[in-house]
Amino acid sequence: MILRRAAIASALAFALATAVAACGQSGATGAAPQAGGVVNVYSARHYDSDKAIYDAFTAKTGIEVRQLQSNADQLLQRLEAEGDATQADLIVTVDAGVLNRLAEANVLQAVDTPALREAVPARMHDAQNRWWAFSKRARVIAYRRDAFTGTNTPPQSMNDLANPRYRGQICARSSTNPYNLSLLAARIERDGEPAALAWARGVRANFARDPQGGDTDQLRAMAAGTCSLSIVNHYYMARLAASADPADQAVAQAIGLVFPADGVHVNVSGGGVGRYAPNRDNAVALLEFLVSPEAQAMFPAGNEELPVRAGVPVTPQLEAIGATNFTEETVPLPALGTRQAEAARVFEQAGWR
Amino acid sequence: MSAAAPRAIVKTLGIGAALICAAPALAVVVLAFTRAPDTALAATLFSDAVAGTLGLMLVGGGGAIVFGAAAAWLVTLCAFPGRSALEWMLALPLAAPLYVLAYAYAGLTWPGGPFASFPITGFWGAAFLYALGAYPYVYLAARASYASSSVCALEAARTLGASPIALFTRIAAPLAWPGIAAGGALAMMEIAADYGAAQHFGVTTLGTAVFRAWYDYASPELALRLAALLVLGAVAFLMIERWARGRRGYAGGSARWRPLPRYTLSPFARWGAFAFCAALVTLGALLPIAWFARGALFIDADFTALAGPLFTSLTLAAGGAALTLILAFIVAAAARARDASGRAALFAANSGYAAPGAVIALGAISLIALAREAGFVGGMGFALSIGALLWAYAARFAAAGAQPIEAGLERLSSGVDNAARTLGASAWRRLTGVDLPIAAPSALAAALIVFVEILKELPATLILRPFDFDTLAVRAYSYASDERLQQAAAPALLITLAGVLPIVFFTRAVTKARAGAHA
Repeated sequence: MILRRAAIASALAFALATAVAACGQSGATGAAPQAGGVVNVYSARHYDSDKAIYDAFTAKTGIEVRQLQSNADQLLQRLEAEGDATQADLIVTVDAGVLNRLAEANVLQAVDTPALREAVPARMHDAQNRWWAFSKRARVIAYRRDAFTGTNTPPQSMNDLANPRYRGQICARSSTNPYNLSLLAARIERDGEPAALAWARGVRANFARDPQGGDTDQLRAMAAGTCSLSIVNHYYMARLAASADPADQAVAQAIGLVFPADGVHVNVSGGGVGRYAPNRDNAVALLEFLVSPEAQAMFPAGNEELPVRAGVPVTPQLEAIGATNFTEETVPLPALGTRQAEAARVFEQAGWR
Repeated sequence: MSAAAPRAIVKTLGIGAALICAAPALAVVVLAFTRAPDTALAATLFSDAVAGTLGLMLVGGGGAIVFGAAAAWLVTLCAFPGRSALEWMLALPLAAPLYVLAYAYAGLTWPGGPFASFPITGFWGAAFLYALGAYPYVYLAARASYASSSVCALEAARTLGASPIALFTRIAAPLAWPGIAAGGALAMMEIAADYGAAQHFGVTTLGTAVFRAWYDYASPELALRLAALLVLGAVAFLMIERWARGRRGYAGGSARWRPLPRYTLSPFARWGAFAFCAALVTLGALLPIAWFARGALFIDADFTALAGPLFTSLTLAAGGAALTLILAFIVAAAARARDASGRAALFAANSGYAAPGAVIALGAISLIALAREAGFVGGMGFALSIGALLWAYAARFAAAGAQPIEAGLERLSSGVDNAARTLGASAWRRLTGVDLPIAAPSALAAALIVFVEILKELPATLILRPFDFDTLAVRAYSYASDERLQQAAAPALLITLAGVLPIVFFTRAVTKARAGAHA
């Protein structure tokens, strides 16, 4: 009896799922044929604020934005499997290394327009124009304020983190994290592999504990006294400062950031038009919108990212942590991708898990 | 009609169903050995990964078996305060994905958290977390086994003066062994397939190595090799489990059923039993839920915006569970023949369970690409996406369905089947009148596990789903991957709560479905 009821319930549920699938399908095919009606975005960015930006685009152009969010590498697998049958018009992701990998995998097409050129600095797009950056994040030194007082100043360069005087003081996240891989890839490009290995070994020797958790976990560990130094993306600090949780605010107050004067490691989010984009023009329009002054101002307001376009206002939180005026390192961003596998090996050799 | 004809049909169906379930994992193995990787893992990383995975299966899985079997024994056969509430609450940790548990324990016990003096991290932290998160697999399967145990052996032992502990270790545990072993195997394979929790705790496992190769080395070929190792390891592991079960199996016994009498424990033992079960529920479910609820307080959690993802999650889970269970039951029925093809079907269907969901999705997507090149399908439109997703769920979780059902069928004494045959019952009648009712408690446990698994499933859903089609797990992941755990709290809570209702329904159904429950 119970079993029969369960069987009926399962059958109903399955029928329901099929019906939902069928409805969704008719809806999807209804929207597609209308030229200029839709743009399909494959996104490896997971921010609610992106939805707001896409909504602004839809309000302005009438073009509907459909999203598929996943990991960048999984999106790449799907793009490769779909080949010329793909529906992907615009592919957006964080991390220049990943953007470079998409370009190398030949799933993007070159796009070059005056609007993109005007907004995006030369270092921030692919040499063959297959991807363009639209927002930036700085990876900087975080220090616990009460550990550095008087003449004992916090390290002013990433190089200093390898100095033995900081033994047992550094908390770090895993080397599998793309932000760390890109940081080291930039060093390899700039200083060569042996120097990068020596640096990674030196930092590894200064660890207070085995790598665990994300950037925010490192900030919390510092505030709790587990360590006094770490490497984090700037926006995690800005978010803690803006949090409604008093414990988060206390963490933010206990910690300061150093934007190294010898060049801040900057990574980007960006996008490229799919090689087989069925709605190519809409994809270009969306990419141009992402670097327009209107959308650029939404990045800092939405998730504390920095705009790539000059002269765009940012939030008070970003000004408070010093993220408005700093010198960027000059490494061309595509190198973050070409050097990534090398960076993973150097981390392994250094024993930085 | 001769008896051979239906058997051949069952066998053919079984092999077909097994092939459907096994195809993505098989594709992974085939691809792994046809595409040579252009790079290799460092030897130390590889040995760390193997040691990490085996160690966590042993310690975490062992813990899950001890917790689950003991808790099932206590609630089924002993009387203690809060027993009837704890009976269903003990299944609750199943509702929380392992990676969600990891985030909760990081918040609770890492520096700055309320329990920072007991940091849960590294290998032992992960083992503890796995034991907590995975014991319900053993608990549900063992409970179904105890519940369908003949009362006679237990009564006889009791009359002969066996203590509760002796009764557990010498009679009940061996009788329930198929269920415990099946649940333990599920728990261990789930641990082997985990990526998120191991990654967050900084433990190197084969699961994390797959993604290191795939993402950091940009080598899908190397990732496939490592994933193939997990798939082949799972098959080998199942053979060992089967061997262990075969050696200890006790089929059937008497068919006399009565409500199970419960032991009256001494006051000390009574409260000890309560404390043990309550601790499992608290650490595995209540504490993480409370932590996320606290996080959700600090943001203006918009639960109405989650209505769509909730509906998507529930329909996908129901559809996926239905498909998976149908395939699993066909496979389990074919496997009863105990011949080579039946056994092969079972192993094939189980092969996907220890592979990370992302790898199964990769296998499925590779096969779809082949089909596209051959002109059978077009791009990944809505229907194909949903189809691929349901297929991936079946491939990943067929083991979770087939293992308990097969263990349940194994308990069926062959005498009952023979009696039905002597009385002239057709194969169909034997299936519906004998096999299905006897497998019902196990099948319900299997349905529960598969439904909740799909509710929690993340990587395959991420890669295969259509546009603008978010599940709760996808939402929770989006926030958590961006370290916005407060925002992740609302969908994580909803996944857990959505899993609670079926858990309550099915745990009660298992109790009712026990033969003799109405006697």
